[in-house]
Amino acid sequence: MKLLLADNDPARARALAGLLAQDPGLTVIRLDPDTPLADAVAAHAPDVILVDMARPDRDALEGVRQLTARDPRPVVLFVDEDDPAFMEEAIGAGVSSYNVLGLPPPDVKPILRAAVALFRRHQQAQDALARSQRELADRVAITRAKALLMRERRLSEPQAHRWLQRQAMARGARIAEVAETLLLGQDKDPGGPTP
Amino acid sequence: MTETRVRIGLLRLTDSAPVLHAAAAGLFARHGIEPALSIEPSWANIADKLAYGLLDAAVMLPPLALAAAAGLRGVPARIVVPMGLTLGGNTLVGTHAVAEALGAGDALMMAPLAMARRFVAWVRAQPAPPRFAVVHAWSTHALLLRYWLAAGGGDPDRDLATVVIPPEQVVGALAAGRIIGFCAGAPWGDAAEACGAGRVLLGSSAIWGHHPEKCLALAEPWAAAHPGAVTGLLRALLAAGRACAAPEQAPALADLLAGAGVAAPRAALLAALPGGAGRERIEFHAGAAWYPWRSHARWFLAQLRRWGWLPGAVDAAALADAVYRPALLAPAAAAEGLDWPEADAKPEGGHDGPWTLPARPNPLPMGADRFCDGANFT
Repeated sequence: MKLLLADNDPARARALAGLLAQDPGLTVIRLDPDTPLADAVAAHAPDVILVDMARPDRDALEGVRQLTARDPRPVVLFVDEDDPAFMEEAIGAGVSSYNVLGLPPPDVKPILRAAVALFRRHQQAQDALARSQRELADRVAITRAKALLMRERRLSEPQAHRWLQRQAMARGARIAEVAETLLLGQDKDPGGPTP
Repeated sequence: MTETRVRIGLLRLTDSAPVLHAAAAGLFARHGIEPALSIEPSWANIADKLAYGLLDAAVMLPPLALAAAAGLRGVPARIVVPMGLTLGGNTLVGTHAVAEALGAGDALMMAPLAMARRFVAWVRAQPAPPRFAVVHAWSTHALLLRYWLAAGGGDPDRDLATVVIPPEQVVGALAAGRIIGFCAGAPWGDAAEACGAGRVLLGSSAIWGHHPEKCLALAEPWAAAHPGAVTGLLRALLAAGRACAAPEQAPALADLLAGAGVAAPRAALLAALPGGAGRERIEFHAGAAWYPWRSHARWFLAQLRRWGWLPGAVDAAALADAVYRPALLAPAAAAEGLDWPEADAKPEGGHDGPWTLPARPNPLPMGADRFCDGANFT
């Protein structure tokens, strides 16, 4: 079985191709982001196509049978009618799958499961990275805002911290948001009693 | 008021403006909606995420909403259309060679049907069917292109090699000679002219006057569970459509579109907006652009059937009624003080100029809805 892997993330594509290479019955063709998906399907005639949902040319696989009446090769979105939860999981993870036959090959589900698991793990890692970057940025903003308050309003460090806390409570905002506003100089009159 | 978070999908296109405006101007918040905008790279993503509950609402191509509901993408998707968003706004663009073959400068003045006949003669003179791009198989663009070509005596399956290219890539594909033309939404036609890649041959309104373009689609299970949020969402978008229709709003909309990553020159962004200088402009409000006409749904389904794309077992009239849901819009339209049409379908075509639609409390002024071949669709 021939599988076309169109994943715009090179590290993830490498990992998935490595995983799928363990299956001796499977030939994996990796597609770079710049090669149009439809051209690759025509050139390689894969049985299964795994597509990163971040690819804009995914639309080129939709309705191919209808649009190109002269090319009889049908490309059909893989839909597991009996397992909507799996479909939801796959879409949430950002991977979709097409078959270049009328029906999916019978043994395709384990491949898709592996792909979905890998995409999810990647997504969780990305989310964790974004979260830690945000936390770090928050920490920097709070430290700098406290320094500003200590310098310009002659507060001690704990006083500056309490001031930010109180402002956050009063505005229903996070401390880091108050700190960022202060640093942006948007807070012309910081107000609030000096502790 | 507690806000309901609503996940709204859109693409980077000029006709996404009402959603961007509603978010920026606080219209969603005014109606209890906390918008979570999701800019998607493909129409397939929008269809999948609506079908599997990862989006609650989206700016959508009407034929794709209907195709998904008809089961053309696998299991019939539970998608409903409570509102139209825009009329018109697409362009047919050709390379300079195509424009020359059609009569260059004169081509722009030619009647759309006469141009279709010349275009068919030109494509048939080519050694192989030339590649022409649309943005999705089940798009207004594909169906209007095929309608126009067939009206000029052509056979869209034999005379053209239709390919699907994402809207953001059509200008590059045209410039590189990979396609001889495309039909895409704004700003890409004007962007192609601006960079010298090709010429706008025709605005899509010349194929069908004031044709429906984008609609709002909702995930049906979400809509059923959140009737209050549906009305709030629709009120915000009705108000946004009215605001977007004002020419003085266009510069701010162009800023919003650029901010959302629509990577086209500012002049191309302004061209298709109200008051713009483009051949084809988008209507966001007038002519009941907001009403989800069941006759529009029937026309799209009739076109899908015409080309053999709709399974015989699908009852088109029943599907149109199941997907297009004016009843969902009625409370929002009343709250926004809009005149409400007396019927949920109208004859399509047949009006060469302005006409008046029976509505309550006052009749609605409507625009021309002529098909390029003069057909009437009832």
